[in-house]
Amino acid sequence: MEATSSASMARQTWELENSIQATSSDPDALDAIYRYDEATQTRAQQEKPWVNDPHHFRRAKISALALLKMVVHARAGGTIEVMGLMQGKCEGDAIIVMDAFALPVEGTETRVNAQADAYEYMVEYSTINKQAGRLENVVGWYHSHPGYGCWLSGIDVSTQMLNQQFTEPFLAVVIDPTRTVSAGKVEIGAFRTYPKDYKPPDDPVSEYQTIPLNKIEDFGVHCKQYYALDITYFKSSLDSHLLDLLWNKYWVNTLSSSPLLGNRDYVAGQIFDLADKLEQAEGQLAHSRFGMLMPSQRKKEPEESPLAKVTRDSSKITAEQVHGLMSQVIKDILFNSVHPSSKASTSATDSSGPVPMIES
Amino acid sequence: MSAPSDLAVASHPPSGAAAAAASSSSGLTFKLHPLVIVNVSDHHTRVKAQAACSGDGTSAAPGQPPRVFGCVIGVQRGRTVEIFNSFELVLDPVSGTLDRAFLEKKQELYKKVFPDFYVLGWYSTGSDVQDADMQIHKALMDVNESPVYLLLNPAINLSQKDLPVTIHESELHVIDGSPQLIFVRANYTIETVEAERISVDHVAHLKPSDGGSAATQLAAHLTGIHSAIKMLNSRVRVIHQYLVSMQKGDMPLDNSLLRQVSSLVRRLPAMESEKFQDDFLMEYNDTLLMTYLAMFTNCSSTMNELVEKFNTTYERSTARRGGRGAFM
Repeated sequence: MEATSSASMARQTWELENSIQATSSDPDALDAIYRYDEATQTRAQQEKPWVNDPHHFRRAKISALALLKMVVHARAGGTIEVMGLMQGKCEGDAIIVMDAFALPVEGTETRVNAQADAYEYMVEYSTINKQAGRLENVVGWYHSHPGYGCWLSGIDVSTQMLNQQFTEPFLAVVIDPTRTVSAGKVEIGAFRTYPKDYKPPDDPVSEYQTIPLNKIEDFGVHCKQYYALDITYFKSSLDSHLLDLLWNKYWVNTLSSSPLLGNRDYVAGQIFDLADKLEQAEGQLAHSRFGMLMPSQRKKEPEESPLAKVTRDSSKITAEQVHGLMSQVIKDILFNSVHPSSKASTSATDSSGPVPMIES
Repeated sequence: MSAPSDLAVASHPPSGAAAAAASSSSGLTFKLHPLVIVNVSDHHTRVKAQAACSGDGTSAAPGQPPRVFGCVIGVQRGRTVEIFNSFELVLDPVSGTLDRAFLEKKQELYKKVFPDFYVLGWYSTGSDVQDADMQIHKALMDVNESPVYLLLNPAINLSQKDLPVTIHESELHVIDGSPQLIFVRANYTIETVEAERISVDHVAHLKPSDGGSAATQLAAHLTGIHSAIKMLNSRVRVIHQYLVSMQKGDMPLDNSLLRQVSSLVRRLPAMESEKFQDDFLMEYNDTLLMTYLAMFTNCSSTMNELVEKFNTTYERSTARRGGRGAFM
């Protein structure tokens, strides 16, 4: 069918433009990652290359299954933070996450001792899993930050530092299920902390993300104590095959999803937050105006003024809203404008009116 | 919109061994989450990789990947059975019986994290239902009186269009005068929550994780919708072709199918009330308002930068002359 060949060509062009590594189509090579080699793992444990280099691990590879499980669990928690553990292995400078499982504790910020409860569960689960053929060890933990972004809070940083002292190799992953649904792409971050007195070289600040006002202090104080790893995903040959076929069944859900409706609370919260930030920015600007009379010293790094940050946030929210509106308009045209009545035809021209252009 | 998928199923008559030929008449609707499918596939890949690595002969025939077994859990509300998740089971390879203690332990652990889910049945991999499966099915009956059996065919067949996942129930049929339990196939739909759909989409198409520029995001979003619409279009074409050939007389008239098609067509337009139009336009206006405000913020930020730059340059030149103050 020419439709599918044009689709595949479009996909290839897109993949090329986004420089996605072409995964080898050899099923054995793809699946080799699933093999658990006891000998290599024990050797790595003995060598401990991470002790000397705090920046040793640079990449995180997450399997399709682990990602799916983590996102579903995080979303099921709603607005409550949930947490769980990840199992996998390490390979060179990458930590590979093969699977994840949920822990029966709520990861609220105050309950640092949740880890003690969870240990029993974890030990039981791991022993049972080994029987069933899941041979990997626990290699990290994940938790969710519903609605406020992927970063490590103060308590998270101390928990992770403790973990990295005693149970290396360990990875911390944070997922934001609310932003995932709102933005239409998975919001996830993988982090490792630096040891206590280590001064990191000035690595460039990672990609900007909007943080609500009430959390921004917590973020700012600790953001230099950890670094983010690059995340890539992998899936087995059977997974790819199944996922392709799955599309045949759930294209309906893609069309029927309404991001505008589902995220009303979150968007309202974001706009409130934006208003507060704007007021703050206004206050700061008024001060700096008087400072202009003195010869201003050249700043070391051109930092964004608060107003520019607010602008970025507002553009992001608006872009998401416009995406949602586009889906609604498309659905309306598809399903509502078939009746040849004059009322419907006028509404069709209304709804297919000019869609605003956004540039950020 | 179940009519198009029903048509697709009707046009491929279920084949297979006599044990699974009939279709279920229990009237239960099954909903399957993609997580279960990925779970089973991962289990199979793992076991296959380990077996290939260890190299020694397993009980399965050489060249054939070993079968894996596990339990599916979910919720049953009335006539709807929704399968959310699954976990592995240990099977005694010699006698083919379940390890009870293991199952109970696992159940307990999963109950702590997902208190609403019950054991709904079990799964296995393979190309078709085997006779030994009935034993395992019966063994599970004391956990759930009518368990479901989910079968995944791990053979990668690039020409097939349908998911190689089948759901079977057991029914008491009288065969040769004696009542026997046989497997009957049941239809299912794929059900998903928004977050699940996004992550499946993400992994299936390996989107760039940092989102790229706004243009890439927009392109990704629209591409998703575009493919969905293309699917819809192709399905509608199938129905159209079918109707045309029926009209020409190539195909026998099927009244029930015609009724379904006509009811489908009559469902459009989907929404046509005044209230809907009002709400729709209100939402449209809200979004436009947000865009307007964002533009304002953008403009004021640019203006601010302009003023600051102006101030800096003007300030420097007047400071030397000791002239008037900066532009306020």
